Amino acid sequence: MHSYIRPNTYIALRLPSGTFKVIEITPNLNINLGKYGSFPAKLLLGRPYYLTFEILDKDDGKDQTELRVVPAAELHAEALGSDHATPAESRDESADGGVEFDIVGEDGEVIMRSNRLTIDDPSRQMLSMEEIKELKKAGTGSGKDIIAKIMASHMAIDEKTSFSLAKYTLRKARKYLRRFTVLALDVGMLTEYIIEKESYKIMELREETLGLISSWANIHYGASSRVMTAEDGVSQIGGGRWLVVDDTGGLVVAALAEKMGILYPNREYEEEASEKEQESVQQTAPVNVQKTPHEKPNDAEELSEQTPIQNSQNEEKTVAQQQNGTDIPMPDADTIERSPTPVFEPTTSAAPTLTPLNPTPRPRKPPRPHIPQMSSPTNTLTIVHTNNQPNLSLLKYFNFDHGNPLPSHPLYKHLKSLSWLQLLYPHEDPSYVEPEVLSDEVLAGMKSSKRGNYYKKRRRWEKTARVVDETRRGGFDGLVVASSMEPTTILRDLVPLVRGGGRVVVYSPNVEPLAELCDYYSKERRGAYVTRRHDAQQNGSKITKEVREEEVNGAGHLEDEDEMDPDFPVNPTLLMAPSLQTARARHWQVLPGRTHPLMTSRGGAEGYLFTATRVLPVEGKVEARGNFRGKKRKTGPETAVKT
Amino acid sequence: MASSPSPFLDPGTHSAANTLGILQLKRDQLIPAVLSASTEDSDYAEGKVENTRFGSFPHSTLLNQVWGTQILASIVDTGSRGSKSRKRRREGDEDGTPDTPNAEVQESRKKAFSRAVKASSGFAHLVPPTPETWTLCLPHRTQVVYTPDYSYILQRLGAKPGDHIIEAGAGSGSFTHAAVRAVFNGYPEEEDKFNGSEGEHGENGAIMPNKKRKRYGRVYSFEFHEPRTNQLKSEIEEHGLDSLVTVTNRDVYQDGFCLSPESYGDSEPNADVIFLDLPAPWLALKHLARSPPSAAVLKSVSSASDPSTPNANTSTSTIDQQTTPSNSFQSSLNPNNAVRICTFSPCIEQVTKTVSALRSLGWLEISMVEILSKRLEVRRERIGLQEEGLRGANPSAATVQEAVQRLRDVEGRAKAFHGLQKEKQEELMRRAEAQKRGEKVAKQDPEEAEAQKAKVLTGLPPSKHDRLEQARSKLGNRELFKEGRLVHRTEPELKTHTSYLVFAVLPREWGKEDEAKARKKWG
Repeated sequence: MHSYIRPNTYIALRLPSGTFKVIEITPNLNINLGKYGSFPAKLLLGRPYYLTFEILDKDDGKDQTELRVVPAAELHAEALGSDHATPAESRDESADGGVEFDIVGEDGEVIMRSNRLTIDDPSRQMLSMEEIKELKKAGTGSGKDIIAKIMASHMAIDEKTSFSLAKYTLRKARKYLRRFTVLALDVGMLTEYIIEKESYKIMELREETLGLISSWANIHYGASSRVMTAEDGVSQIGGGRWLVVDDTGGLVVAALAEKMGILYPNREYEEEASEKEQESVQQTAPVNVQKTPHEKPNDAEELSEQTPIQNSQNEEKTVAQQQNGTDIPMPDADTIERSPTPVFEPTTSAAPTLTPLNPTPRPRKPPRPHIPQMSSPTNTLTIVHTNNQPNLSLLKYFNFDHGNPLPSHPLYKHLKSLSWLQLLYPHEDPSYVEPEVLSDEVLAGMKSSKRGNYYKKRRRWEKTARVVDETRRGGFDGLVVASSMEPTTILRDLVPLVRGGGRVVVYSPNVEPLAELCDYYSKERRGAYVTRRHDAQQNGSKITKEVREEEVNGAGHLEDEDEMDPDFPVNPTLLMAPSLQTARARHWQVLPGRTHPLMTSRGGAEGYLFTATRVLPVEGKVEARGNFRGKKRKTGPETAVKT
Repeated sequence: MASSPSPFLDPGTHSAANTLGILQLKRDQLIPAVLSASTEDSDYAEGKVENTRFGSFPHSTLLNQVWGTQILASIVDTGSRGSKSRKRRREGDEDGTPDTPNAEVQESRKKAFSRAVKASSGFAHLVPPTPETWTLCLPHRTQVVYTPDYSYILQRLGAKPGDHIIEAGAGSGSFTHAAVRAVFNGYPEEEDKFNGSEGEHGENGAIMPNKKRKRYGRVYSFEFHEPRTNQLKSEIEEHGLDSLVTVTNRDVYQDGFCLSPESYGDSEPNADVIFLDLPAPWLALKHLARSPPSAAVLKSVSSASDPSTPNANTSTSTIDQQTTPSNSFQSSLNPNNAVRICTFSPCIEQVTKTVSALRSLGWLEISMVEILSKRLEVRRERIGLQEEGLRGANPSAATVQEAVQRLRDVEGRAKAFHGLQKEKQEELMRRAEAQKRGEKVAKQDPEEAEAQKAKVLTGLPPSKHDRLEQARSKLGNRELFKEGRLVHRTEPELKTHTSYLVFAVLPREWGKEDEAKARKKWG
């Protein structure tokens, strides 16, 4: 998240009508707000967020369009209505009692008008539709004049109660004021924007549910976590890694990434950068002007030009200098991707690697350093997707395109993805099969394009193998599911991959799938499951064998296509304390003497959350204790799989 | 302490000595325990023990366990504490020694232990602490900010790794823990080590100013009540978060939020995010401005305060360190960022005052929200005549057909019964008449009569007694876990109101000069 508006970022503009317009702001863009007017984007660049601007153009006696920052006091005065100018507002309602809300004062004088005399008749507005249109065409500035005229020609404005007058003014302001507010497009804003337009695309996820998901999944920055292995010495345990199944177009991924500090690029430097920038705007200006007209950076060369600029805004250093280590070394795992120093994969070492010292505006195709995608060992999100490619379209609002990711974006290394096929039956996926290794001589004799292809294939395989192997070894810190698929089928395969004490969170717009899920993890079912396993163990060692296999595999029953017991689609002993909850934010209007909950809000799906903790049950029979006095109630003996 | 990462942020694979572990007994029943390997300061032979109604758990059984493991209860002699002659004592000592996480040693130790003391029943799960579990089991000092509220607050406030959060009214510390998790992006110490400047830090974890330093997320926590402050401090230290949280005992209404520059370098709060859980947040707002508020504004804000507010009064009377920030105003906000605030107040009157103060002080995007959250319980509702006499089910008829059938059965039985009665009556009558006539009647064989009766009854539906018997005997073979209808409903205890949340944003200051600069830069 940036402290001021930068080019090539998405911003949200709130119009007086309350609707949002989301745009990607570029320096030469002309932003058109329909009836509210238009203005060049450069008037917004470099300005802070959350300001409200008024569009002033030649009608207001200006040579060119200008934006005026509307001060907070003015905004509040309008919201409160004419009687309550800030800061006097607070005095009005002080201890001696909100005077103007008493209908009759102490001396019997009528202080507040009632609506007894109100006449509901549109003819009381003397201005006709045409006249108002005329006024608008004549372009009397910011719209305040129009509103003033409309108010002046309302016959019965004096008869209105102060409440209705305030409402009337507000309504007119919404229609005619040529204003907008610039808002940062963070995950909360994006949620609000999409839920109003296409709520089905994000499974009607509200902001409060997103908050709950992140909390219950214990999502946090994990780049400083230790890289630890399980007793087998290979599987990683923890390390700030979460598994995600996301059918919300990437909204859940974005919300989690935001909390892990991997959604917005180069945040740490922003502080210093912006400070320095203040001092030396002069210096930067030419550099940025030179770069910004470029089309959206598409590949790594362009990126290597751009990253240093972003990183240390205006130190006029060449890329080479940056690589020589003028950049600060970072202690955490993010070092590589934040500093522009390229990382060489072992395989690429065969290829001659040259970095252009003085990048020409458009170098033809220099061999570019390969930064391995999805390679971070900590602070990662691993998304399991149904189609060949994950649908993460909403990440475009955060400058991340999954089909063509920029190596400079934190998600490039921290967002891993694999399909269900790759997870469950990796050998059926062609990209998991290792392409043949060619010797250096053979490679040297190849055409460059062919050689490029060879490396591309190798890298793709390496990426897939790395992600698939890591995921199948499990040890994740948590699992977050927001999917339209049957939750049991997801949890069956993914819960074993969560470490002990890790959190499992499943979102569903409707309660029924989650109620079922709770039932599959109920205490009674767990007891029955354990008894059944126990009996089977007594009868033959078939199940024991399975257990052993699971232990060996580490990845649980990922591959065994064993007959699924319809009574136990999931292993109920693997999750503890399953619970089901929902939350909804109720919005209020807070105005002096007029405080109440909003009259209407969005209905639709309520949105529910299933949460539980992954546990490692002990082997053998375990009896519960406690509960009913005297009579020992058995919740069933517990045996279980040690995973 | 600071050298090992906090169990909240990176718990490691196993539980370790001197770190916090949570013993989860039931969903809402958790016991926080700082695991201790020593047997020194404990009356039990086993060393430290957590006694619960699900059994006793000596710390030695909890140490060096993989997180999430189900722990079996042990037999602990809770009656005769400190009896050193006990056989168990030896084992306790042995286990008390800090051991290596060697798998084999552990395995053998566990087995030896369980053979010796494993109780016949009772278990709990050992889970790593999270702000959620901590919220459920922390020692209550004040009203706790619960998960649905703090998760929404942190989401709305956009608290991200690297942010600085001011929290005033730390209270029990539930929000503190959630806030640390939200802004955490590394431990400042580590960074300093990397930079080779292993200089001494101030006792409060101050960061030495070095240029081009990564901005570390940090929580600045303020609490008015001194014992609570100290308690929170020790908790934070215990949880390994002391390098990320600065706990200050202060009256923020009076003294604001700035920390003295000597001990904190340039790292004074510099806040991006503010959370006020105070009885009169509007009194603290004047300290959360970018520039000193004008006298008129101050007056209007303070006049909004109700003189009857108790804390407003006490605050003025009990100040020990008088630092007047007014002469040299120092902003506690991050000058480069829009600052977001949330106030947490249970009463609507507090909200109106806060909101009007926010308006006077130039905050924007003011909105008020209340979070309505509920938990649902899911269960199987078993209804039907087969449930007669069983617990946890409704034994009334499940369908009209069942009801009709039962009525028929009852009617049938009654009919048969009446038939028998009638027969008996008639028999008696016949005998009486025969006696009258002076005939001698052979006495009916009682066995025969019984047999006759049984014969009549066999064709009949079972009696209530039999039905109950049957239901009970069938119970063993029934799969109750999948019978009945799956239903869900809100849990019996419903939190209908916690507090009102007021949100607002204070944009970055934007003056004529800034505008001119921006215009120059962007054309």
